[in-house]
Amino acid sequence: MTLLLAEDDPELSRQICAWLTKSGHAVTCHANGSDALNTALRQAFDAVILDVNMPGKDGFEIVTALRADNDLVPVLFLTARDSVTDRVRGLSSGGDDYLTKPFAMEELSARLEALNRRYQQSATGQRRIGEWVLDTRQRRLRSSNDFIDLQPRECALLELFLDHEGRTLTKKFLLDKVWDIRFDPGTNVVDAMICRLRRKLDAPGHATCIQTVRGKGYVFKALS
Amino acid sequence: MFSKLFPDHTSSTWRLVVLQAITIGTSIALCLTLAGWALHRDLDEMGRKVVLDDLGEHAVFYEQEGIAGVEKLFASGMHEDDDVLRVVSAEGKVLFDHSFVAESRFHWPDASHLRKLANVKGLITIEHPENDEHTLIGRVVLNDGAVLWYGRMDAADRLYLSHIRNYLWIAGIAAAVIALIPVFWYGGQVLRPVRSMIASAQELAKGTGDSRLEAPSAVPELRQFATAFNRVLDRNSNLTRELQDANDHLAHELRTPLARIRGNLEAFQDNTKDETAREAALRGIDEIDRATTLVQTILNVRAGEHNALVLHRERTSLRTLLESIIDLYLPSAEDRSQNLRLEAETDSVLEVDTQRLVQAITNLLDNALACTPKGGDIVLRLETTPDLATISVLDSGPGIAKEEMEQIWERFVRGSAAAQSACPGMGLGLSLVRAVATAHGGKTGCRNRDTGGAEFWIQIRG
Repeated sequence: MTLLLAEDDPELSRQICAWLTKSGHAVTCHANGSDALNTALRQAFDAVILDVNMPGKDGFEIVTALRADNDLVPVLFLTARDSVTDRVRGLSSGGDDYLTKPFAMEELSARLEALNRRYQQSATGQRRIGEWVLDTRQRRLRSSNDFIDLQPRECALLELFLDHEGRTLTKKFLLDKVWDIRFDPGTNVVDAMICRLRRKLDAPGHATCIQTVRGKGYVFKALS
Repeated sequence: MFSKLFPDHTSSTWRLVVLQAITIGTSIALCLTLAGWALHRDLDEMGRKVVLDDLGEHAVFYEQEGIAGVEKLFASGMHEDDDVLRVVSAEGKVLFDHSFVAESRFHWPDASHLRKLANVKGLITIEHPENDEHTLIGRVVLNDGAVLWYGRMDAADRLYLSHIRNYLWIAGIAAAVIALIPVFWYGGQVLRPVRSMIASAQELAKGTGDSRLEAPSAVPELRQFATAFNRVLDRNSNLTRELQDANDHLAHELRTPLARIRGNLEAFQDNTKDETAREAALRGIDEIDRATTLVQTILNVRAGEHNALVLHRERTSLRTLLESIIDLYLPSAEDRSQNLRLEAETDSVLEVDTQRLVQAITNLLDNALACTPKGGDIVLRLETTPDLATISVLDSGPGIAKEEMEQIWERFVRGSAAAQSACPGMGLGLSLVRAVATAHGGKTGCRNRDTGGAEFWIQIRG
């Protein structure tokens, strides 16, 4: 993807740039809101990452200006404020997603992928997992001679894993996308749900398709 | 001194009316009694003078012209109605008698009585046998030994007095009506503004509005009070805003460096082959995430305690919200062989901050799951009334020690049940629950269930 990053903290900007470049994206970096807006207006990007508080123009102003220019590029806000009001302001001004600092780089990538996919509108009704086909409408995994019924959240979780195959997804990201919860409850609710999904998906004697990455989250690897 | 005079719920208008009635009634009664008494005394004095004058006059005429002179004088004085005159010779023969004995049934004192009375100096009062009228009688012994009696009935005086009394009553009642004007004034200028101030203060107490006390038509003192009170409110909201800004600033200033450290640790963890170093980086990342959550929670609790927690309210069906929470917790409860269920017979759609409310409820559920043994029951319950919703979490754990019932809601206080169980925590969970409930204009509470275990509840208004 070609990405635009506007972040005024030099160290954070460097880290994000390094991570995204290493992940194979082309990144243009700016530390000033006005410069970022000028670049975004001149050049086409697959996604834009904006810090909320910046000299020049803040993130909200940049999005408003972009949308006023009919630019529908997906926008992800980075912010040091964990307030719903800010989040709502960001999304209502035309932003597409919102990530609170500090964050895991993997989560940034996952969110960018999700944004890009939504932008490309490439979501399909049916997904393949080895011999299984996931039917999201009926919330059912089907094979030629068998089927597994899924609970609504299990289905949403599996769909999310399929969307981000091979990407380590953090608990925070899963809670946000599947349960619409933006904090981590004390009880290991996500672990329990993943265990349940594993029990349904994993054939006895085979390696699990949803692996735990210690300290980071979970990664889905398709059955070979 | 009047505070114990009225029941507590009596409004000040009624108190004023009662006090006014008592004061005005007493004053009028006092005036009437005093005026009546003074008038009575004056009339009495006047009556005596008239009797003495007439007595003297008639005696002079008797001395000059004999009984004929007395008759002439009496006839010219038009005294028929209420005056009496009798002249008795020294021998006891009645020379002249004009009295109304027959009509008014006054009994002219008989001879023996009169003789007795004759020794009395000054004037004599004879009472009417049937009503309380009196006749004032005087006597004078004439030169020839005859005795002249002259009397005067007080019927006319009494009539006059009763007229005056009637007028005084009318004046008194008119004065009482006029005296009610202050009550009406009080109602309009004092009580109504006070009532409207109470209403705005109640709104403020709920924390739903940012209104100010207004009393444009009130008395100057109330206007001054409203101004002073509003100044306090302004100062409070400034302080609240400063606290919010400071919280915001602190969170912002802390999160950015934490993000830098986290990024570097991640890069280090991804790039090192040394297992010990990877483990250390991992633990570092974990600690940063915990610290971030902790700081945010402390700030939220602090903001909640000072009524400065900013809410993002949305219309939310509480039953749907609780269903999704049950859905989230069911796998964990099943893993622990606990029976988690929802009891929500009614629903309530309220304007709430969904994220914060969910966080408060999950905090209660986290505690319930941590302290309920295998096979135990955990119930998430919703009870609603038209303007109030109570969300309770019932567990079957060890319950709450009596002396901890209130303490556990405070910051950094962990109950003994939490300390005994191995569950981690900083003792912020319940204080956050309380902060969220307070921010929603609600309250929290807990009790031990009769069947064992504890019940924690959040009560919120829409």
